[in-house]
Amino acid sequence: MRRILAVFAVFWALALAFPLTVKDDLGRTVSLKASPKRVITVLPSATETVCALGACGLLVATDDYSDFPEEVKRLPKVGGLYNPNPELIVSLKPDLVIASKYGRLYETLERAGLTVYVVKTETYEDIFRTVRALARILGREAAGERLVAQIQKEVYLEESRAAKAKIRPRVYYEIDPTPYTVGPDSFIGVLIQKARGANIIPRELGLFPKISPEFVVEKDPEVIVATYPDAEKTLKSRPGFGRIRAVREGRICVFTGGQDSLLSRPGPRVAQGLRLLADCFHK
Amino acid sequence: MILVRPRLPRYGLALAGLLLFVLLALILGVGVGAVYIPPGEVLQVLLGLSENPVLTELRLPRVLGGALVGGALALSGAAFQGLFRNPLADPYLMGSASGAALGVTLYAVLVGGLSPGFAQHAVFTHLPLSATLTGFLGAVFAVGLTLLLAGGTARIHDLILAGVVVGSVFTGLTTYLMMQDADRVRAVFAYTLGNLAFVGWPGVKALVVFLLLSFPLLLLGRVLNALLLGEEVARTLGLPLEALKLLIIAFAALLIAASVAQAGVIGFVGLITPHLLRRLVGEDYRFLLPASFLGGAGFLVLADLLARTLTRPAELPVGVVTTLLGGPFFLYLMWRRRGRA
Repeated sequence: MRRILAVFAVFWALALAFPLTVKDDLGRTVSLKASPKRVITVLPSATETVCALGACGLLVATDDYSDFPEEVKRLPKVGGLYNPNPELIVSLKPDLVIASKYGRLYETLERAGLTVYVVKTETYEDIFRTVRALARILGREAAGERLVAQIQKEVYLEESRAAKAKIRPRVYYEIDPTPYTVGPDSFIGVLIQKARGANIIPRELGLFPKISPEFVVEKDPEVIVATYPDAEKTLKSRPGFGRIRAVREGRICVFTGGQDSLLSRPGPRVAQGLRLLADCFHK
Repeated sequence: MILVRPRLPRYGLALAGLLLFVLLALILGVGVGAVYIPPGEVLQVLLGLSENPVLTELRLPRVLGGALVGGALALSGAAFQGLFRNPLADPYLMGSASGAALGVTLYAVLVGGLSPGFAQHAVFTHLPLSATLTGFLGAVFAVGLTLLLAGGTARIHDLILAGVVVGSVFTGLTTYLMMQDADRVRAVFAYTLGNLAFVGWPGVKALVVFLLLSFPLLLLGRVLNALLLGEEVARTLGLPLEALKLLIIAFAALLIAASVAQAGVIGFVGLITPHLLRRLVGEDYRFLLPASFLGGAGFLVLADLLARTLTRPAELPVGVVTTLLGGPFFLYLMWRRRGRA
């Protein structure tokens, strides 16, 4: 009898949870009549979060770049941030689409009558906010709290491992060779700090500034991290960069081919990205 | 049409003024940057008395490269304006800058495997000469296509329209090729807006080589003067007109290709500079060509100085600065022109 009651209580709770009305990261009101059964994610970090919440089975499609976990690779791909395929998304009849605030895809999809939840994933804190928010709209709040606790534990382990390092090397992090870099308040900037590195970029320049090469040479970083192909060759061939300590001592860490995803996606695998940085800074 | 021959003293004065302008721009460009270096130290480094890699390996080649790119663009712009007897002709509007960009990008795709650096790709830094040559072919091809679509140079509006169409199509193709690596969209924009940040000594050397190769263009001012009088008149002067026209296009295309291979596509320098200098030295192309070279050199050095320092130590794309400076000035010119008509 008690078991029946318990099952009944769970159903009761679920029935109470929906219909659900929440505000997304753009402050838009999103209403869900029932717990979503067909979900499309148009952002790799959201895909990873949904799967980490144990809801991978609900996904019917993802964006082109979502490649983790393995099981999402065989799902239909609906384009990327710059070339989304809204017709395909609509034809798959999702009852929930999770999209990025960049691009105006959500407006198109909303006009087509779909329910769209827009997420902003830029800072370190956004990771945990997004986990909780997605857990709520997927009706998995307990799993959400567990996931937050797990990510924080993993991050803490890496952080305390890095804290044993005696020195904080000066770090220059290049996301593309324009060159764009990362400010201390960005998601990657926070990881650099947690990995016990000292970002050479001042806070005032914002999250992702285009930096002057003169400034980089002047700051003489001890470690350079880059996340694009052929970065080592590119950096070494640059005028004046041969003088930089990181280049002279060969301390250039290039992360590509999947490893870059750990650093570019503010999602549940953030501790692995942190580990890459810590290993790079203190080897 | 009566050609006003400028008096030589006036030309000499203008030239001296322009040289001074370039010199001042170079001094400012070398003296000011993202990193503060005291003027005394700058002087010592330049005299070889002390050492500062920021100055000798980054700022100096960047400033000199900017001067050469600006000069090359303005010189080719002046040549186009004379050749097509059209004040709106410039490397941008004739589609040739876009053609050069496509040639350079194709080179990167075929030889380097398209990877994110584009203007900054190892292909360009290691083999700037061959990248310039495919850029040259692209520029010549684009000008040819523009002329073909416009049915020659006779109808000015057709020429501009054809140039804009060719330029857009080529830019579209370039963007398409670069977007194959869609994660690097920002680098695509950096290239299409121009970037002098990584012009080093190899780049300066390549620019010098191509400028020397195009040097005969400066001697073709007389041909452009004859063209100003109309093709009929020019023909009666006994000039091998078609061959000379092709030669001018080839030299201008080479200059554009060299600039685009080193610094991406920088707009407005080739359009504005000859315009401005026409007021100073007159319509005589024997003087307008060298004056445009100097004026363009100074202009781009100053524009890049603003791009480097307005938000330092962050940077703006230099094309944004030239467009913001050049656009309103061009509007002013058009407004003046209308006022006189």
